[in-house]
Amino acid sequence: MPLVAAAACAHTPQLLVRPPTEDRDLVLRVHAAFARVKALLTKARPDAIAIIAGDHIEAFFLNAVPALGVFVGAECAGQFGRYAYRFPVHEPLARAILEEGIERGFDLLYSQEMPLDYAFFVPLRFTMPEPAPPIVPLFVNVYLPPQPTPRRCYQWGEALGQILAKRPERVALVASGGMSHFPGTDRYGSPDFDFDRRLLELLQQGRGRDMAQLTGADLDKAGNSELRTWLVLLGAVGDARAEVFCYEPSWHHGNAVLAWTP
Amino acid sequence: MTHYGFPPARAYRLNKCLFALKSDDAFRARFLKEPERVMAELGLSPDERAALAAQDRDRLVALGAHAYLVFMAQFRLRMETEGSAFEYF
Repeated sequence: MPLVAAAACAHTPQLLVRPPTEDRDLVLRVHAAFARVKALLTKARPDAIAIIAGDHIEAFFLNAVPALGVFVGAECAGQFGRYAYRFPVHEPLARAILEEGIERGFDLLYSQEMPLDYAFFVPLRFTMPEPAPPIVPLFVNVYLPPQPTPRRCYQWGEALGQILAKRPERVALVASGGMSHFPGTDRYGSPDFDFDRRLLELLQQGRGRDMAQLTGADLDKAGNSELRTWLVLLGAVGDARAEVFCYEPSWHHGNAVLAWTP
Repeated sequence: MTHYGFPPARAYRLNKCLFALKSDDAFRARFLKEPERVMAELGLSPDERAALAAQDRDRLVALGAHAYLVFMAQFRLRMETEGSAFEYF
């Protein structure tokens, strides 16, 4: 059936583990937006949450750098500092996404053993509906060039939407990442908030398709390499209009939380 | 100028060290105790060792370190050494 809900969530680690350098009120406002996503997901009663995240060079190092992948194990676990987490995986759905995806020409990596990065964990910690459904981790290479192109990510999202529409499960789709930030570079203190705001306007108008015209260089220049995860989601939600639950620019990060409802 | 460039093969050991600092608790604990010994074991060059010991972000990136690995290795080291000042949600 068609998606029952979709959301895009920032996952910056300072939202989970707040150093004194971070504005506490801002963090709490982002948490309030996460709570709205949680309410929306609870109301949607999903059988599974398919969550798309950029792997932060955690599941794989330079031993193997997949572009797009699906986790098809029974459960997926990870650790970030004092947080140890473990989520059951909806195996039939994960396998269907993998097999149908391959059938449609997407050469997906799959794994049954992969540490789950905090990019997956942060949105799940704050937005997991009650009762908690199993997940399907979908990953996209966002930081190790050459990454998949924005167009390819969007196309994968279109295929993913079609695959999910044919399935019996009620599926919610969550994209983790963004917006503008430049971790580890001399631009860390000066994100491109104007880029973010222009993009949010487009998404509110249901013009996610336009985003597929961006190049990888455009994303890198704007500190938005992670928006490849949003591009996958946008391919799946098509021309639906986004509702912006928050946009909170901190000194280093454009924290956005958005939702799309059918 | 690309912010997240291709990690050159010459910097593989440096990136592997940053990866371990980010993701391997036992390695990070050893590094905090005996940084010089751990870096020598990994075969890091004198330049790489000096940049890592000083946590000199720009120098590390200039040596071929991946910027995200530099960021998260430093964040995880801070969580270890200054973690009591952090708020956990």
